[in-house]
Amino acid sequence: MSATTGVRPTKGYLMEMKRRIGFIERGTEFLKLKRDHLAKELTTSIDVLKGRRSKLLEDLRIAYRAVTAAYISLGPTEVKSQASSIKSRLELEVLPRSVMGVRYPYIKVEKEPQITGELDITLSEAAEKVLGILDDILQLAEFEARAERIADELGKTNRKVNALENTIIPSYRQVIKFIEDKLDEESLEELVRMKLIGGALARRRE
Amino acid sequence: MSPGLSYVVVKSHALMADLLNPEQMRALAEQESLEGFIEYLAGTPYGRISVDTEGDASLALEKVFYQKFIERMMAIVDLAPAKIGDFLQSYYYLRFEVINLKRIIRGKYSGIPVSQIVESLIPITPYRVKNYEDLVEAETFQDSVRQLEGTPFASLVASLDLSEKYDALWPVEIALSHLNTGSIFKSLERLPQRDRGLVRRIVQAEADVENFLIAVKQRGARDRAHSPKEMFPATYGITLEMLREAISADDIRSVIQGLNPPYNEILVPLYEGDVALIRSRIRQHIYDIARKGRTVNDFGFNVVMAYLVFSEIEKDDLVGIAWGKTQGIPAEDILKYLAIPESV
Repeated sequence: MSATTGVRPTKGYLMEMKRRIGFIERGTEFLKLKRDHLAKELTTSIDVLKGRRSKLLEDLRIAYRAVTAAYISLGPTEVKSQASSIKSRLELEVLPRSVMGVRYPYIKVEKEPQITGELDITLSEAAEKVLGILDDILQLAEFEARAERIADELGKTNRKVNALENTIIPSYRQVIKFIEDKLDEESLEELVRMKLIGGALARRRE
Repeated sequence: MSPGLSYVVVKSHALMADLLNPEQMRALAEQESLEGFIEYLAGTPYGRISVDTEGDASLALEKVFYQKFIERMMAIVDLAPAKIGDFLQSYYYLRFEVINLKRIIRGKYSGIPVSQIVESLIPITPYRVKNYEDLVEAETFQDSVRQLEGTPFASLVASLDLSEKYDALWPVEIALSHLNTGSIFKSLERLPQRDRGLVRRIVQAEADVENFLIAVKQRGARDRAHSPKEMFPATYGITLEMLREAISADDIRSVIQGLNPPYNEILVPLYEGDVALIRSRIRQHIYDIARKGRTVNDFGFNVVMAYLVFSEIEKDDLVGIAWGKTQGIPAEDILKYLAIPESV
């Protein structure tokens, strides 16, 4: 179906269409700005993620080796028994944060477990290594969720910009051109009609 | 009536053939999977072990290895002359009971379900306490400890004040370990003078290394560190002064280098922060003490003790390998922490 189907070629409708296209073009500019900002944020996040992930993987390997050593050295039942004696557990709160209207989870550590007193030194060393990278794990999880949501939003924004630039705005322009052509045609007809009437009136006066 | 020491010694010599040798232990650690581990074990005196595939197989295997060790120990206790039998029962049963009491108290302290606490206990019949059920069913961990009044563990009740003062469990655990060591030394009196040295060397080495590791753990706390006298109610080869130095010294290397052999060698992994390796080294050291004890007297109590020491270390190594296999840990990472394959 053509974009001009059902269009009323009136001056009022033309003005309305021009007002609308002005609004859409301004919106498109804003969306482009948002797209560029999100792309910048995503690039930064990916760079940070790359660096942090490889460091964290190395730290995790060290922590896992310590946990493995504790299990082999003490036996699984003893490790579980000692671990259960930790009264103060890890408490987290997940809060929302936003960048350019994109919401992502922010993890806040409310309470860290107190491991100093109760554990055997083998297990305590392993637990300290895990606890030492806990903040990094949480931050990386936060960054990954943030990057994922930014990428998602970037995709959506890009699709919107493309739709506006390639479909919506051209169709509005087509309508405006159609109305302007129609109105030009009507005013030309009006002019010819006026000329003919003017000519007829002049002939009658003579 | 006991058939006499000679029979137990001969029996111990014979039973040593049932123990896994370093090559077998290494082969077990090098198995590709848990199934391979169980299959290899089936070809040893352990025979075929059936493990419930649901739940944690490493916990089930740990129970099996404990059970096997307890059977071996009881077989010796039943045959041994009264004094040696009493000592061995006291040495092992008390140790296992202390582990069980620690697990019960930890469980009560953190409020985990009764079934979980029961599940974690070593499968032995209660030795110095009436039963474990009452302790497990108690309302609080303080109630569990108070129920020990009237048993040889009565002195633990005094440690509750310290536990309350620090809002921690370690005073009770240290009191239990101290009580265990003290009881072993006391039960040594049942043995003839010539047989005491081997056990004393083993117990002292274990207690010294444990004390030193506790001191190292306190280093991080510094200002918050607890009083050394409270932490170390009994010291042996590593004195209280040395432990104080270990807590306060800036460089732990110099403290370790200043210790007498074998501690200055056993504790070397601390330089790299590998504490678990110290435990395998102390096990190797104990293995060595027992082996040397045999060379001194291969026709007396030392043989019996060596058999049980080797058997217990074998159990510990097998528990470690079984856990490693369930987790798919590479063989070299498991072997590093075993005592037997490294003891030759």
